[in-house]
Amino acid sequence: MTPIVTFQDVSKWYGNVIGINKLTVDIGPGVTGLLGPNGAGKSTLLQLATGQLYPSQGAVRVLGQHVWNHADLNRRIGLCPEQDAFYEWMTGWDFVFTCARLTGLSRRAARSAAERTISSVGMEPHQNRAIGGYSKGMRQRIKMAQALVHDPEVLFLDEPLTGTDPLARRELMDIITRIGNEGKSVLVSSHVLYEVQALTSNIVLLNRGRLVAHGNVRQIRDLIDKHPHHIKIECDGFRQLAARMVGWDDVEGVRVIAKDRALMVETHDPDAFYGRLPSLSLEDGLAIKSVYSDDDNLEAVFKYLVEL
Amino acid sequence: MTSISAKLDDISTGAGGADLSGAQVSRLGSCWTLYLLTLRQHLHGRRWIALAVLFMLPAGLAVVIQSTRARAPDTFLDFLLSWILIPQALLPLIALLYASGIIQDEQEDQTITYLLIRPLPKWLLYIVKMIATWTTTVVLVVLLTVLTYAAIYIRSDVPVADVAARCFKTAAIQSLAVVTYCSIFGLLGLLTKRSLIVGILYTVVVEGLFANLPLSVRMSTVIYYTRIMAYRTLSFGVTWPNGDQNDVAAEAWFLDVASDPQLKEHPRLLSCVLVLSVISVVCTVIAAALCSQREFHVKTPEKD
Repeated sequence: MTPIVTFQDVSKWYGNVIGINKLTVDIGPGVTGLLGPNGAGKSTLLQLATGQLYPSQGAVRVLGQHVWNHADLNRRIGLCPEQDAFYEWMTGWDFVFTCARLTGLSRRAARSAAERTISSVGMEPHQNRAIGGYSKGMRQRIKMAQALVHDPEVLFLDEPLTGTDPLARRELMDIITRIGNEGKSVLVSSHVLYEVQALTSNIVLLNRGRLVAHGNVRQIRDLIDKHPHHIKIECDGFRQLAARMVGWDDVEGVRVIAKDRALMVETHDPDAFYGRLPSLSLEDGLAIKSVYSDDDNLEAVFKYLVEL
Repeated sequence: MTSISAKLDDISTGAGGADLSGAQVSRLGSCWTLYLLTLRQHLHGRRWIALAVLFMLPAGLAVVIQSTRARAPDTFLDFLLSWILIPQALLPLIALLYASGIIQDEQEDQTITYLLIRPLPKWLLYIVKMIATWTTTVVLVVLLTVLTYAAIYIRSDVPVADVAARCFKTAAIQSLAVVTYCSIFGLLGLLTKRSLIVGILYTVVVEGLFANLPLSVRMSTVIYYTRIMAYRTLSFGVTWPNGDQNDVAAEAWFLDVASDPQLKEHPRLLSCVLVLSVISVVCTVIAAALCSQREFHVKTPEKD
């Protein structure tokens, strides 16, 4: 599969601060989630990919072409930037139309594209109001419209769901999913894992400018399975339960949390562990109140991997 | 949601989608849009408050002075306002207000991203925005000049045609000066983040101090060439109420017209025009080249 975005041994320094550190990654078509905590280098990566920044080292290619000072490539890519900045005095329609014209569309084509794109993000009823009066959700949607207005092949979305209400978030997620389903490539950054999990299973994990993991969530999950899972079990007979569990081969350790009347169990083999739990409860009469593993969601995968 | 999804179909499948091929895509159209966008940006913001005050200052002074009992000679007032106050203080300020922020303002407002992700090279972005800035400042200077001349000569017995011709020449010379100032301050805006302070220092030290020294160092100032052009095209002879006559410009600008009445030691009119034009072009080209190689951060890496 031909990569859409290629980072080859890319580093980006801001003086003494490292934004991206020797990053090598190929991002293919479809929707890809770019995950990482604040300061991970997500925005730096997107700014490098859209030619706003020059790599201190290495090469960045999009659609097979170097991006720095390659203005014509911008016809084929769209960016929804993170910053909540606009020409506040413009109306939504004016803003999107102007962006279309700046991309080089004729007046007629720009008008048509602006109308269609604004409609696609559900901003038709508000298009004639000044952006300065928009809610956060409206601002995100109109920002999305400017990224889409020239019908780009590759779309970079920097934290597009930040600050939106649940309805707007759902609508934006549907838009992103649909764009991806129709064959466009979308790289969407977020530090909120469940949002990305709902959009795609293909993720790139960054931390402190370094690539932590890249691939399908399931593949990344396999990585984590090589290491202990932490499972919290609430049970009135927690000390008796702890005594039983320390004898199991797949249990690495048991920690008693007396104040919660619970145990924190570490295991290398969560599937076998979970399989044994029902019989344990039945045979020993230990009334297990709850079983909870932080490691079962993407948040935990992320937390675990970035701490490696 | 259904309607949104249905509409997305149109976008994704390209049904009626933006066709970026062929004649529909035009770099000239992009440039024109950026030019108009920059002009519109100039019409918004707090700069208008400062400008309104600046605009009214020379005209207001003219009205005040002309309404006093000891009415000043028109040519003297013209010299004082149009050739001391305006080029020495107002032109650099107008240029500084608009040109130093060509890129900086967009960067501070974080709107520069919307320009950088368009198919316009950064050097072209700068040049188009500079041309728009020249347009705005020239229009302002023409308005300022007309307003000032109207205030000075409104009750004068000087023929309207003469006033109009003088006003036209003044506006033309000052327009060239403001274009040069814009080009200098545009470059300054790319060289330092404190362009307003540095610009004011430049105006005071170089255009204020150096230009008023009877030494060759004044040839490094914009205002020197502006003055020479003015002196070669306009008359500054003033007849005072007591009958005395003098050349106020020659005295104030240290032009030795007694021993060099043709100003042969000074550049000719065309040379002045060329010098200011070349300065403008060189500054703009250097700034555009700087722009093309520069990254424009819109957020710090710490916030990333």
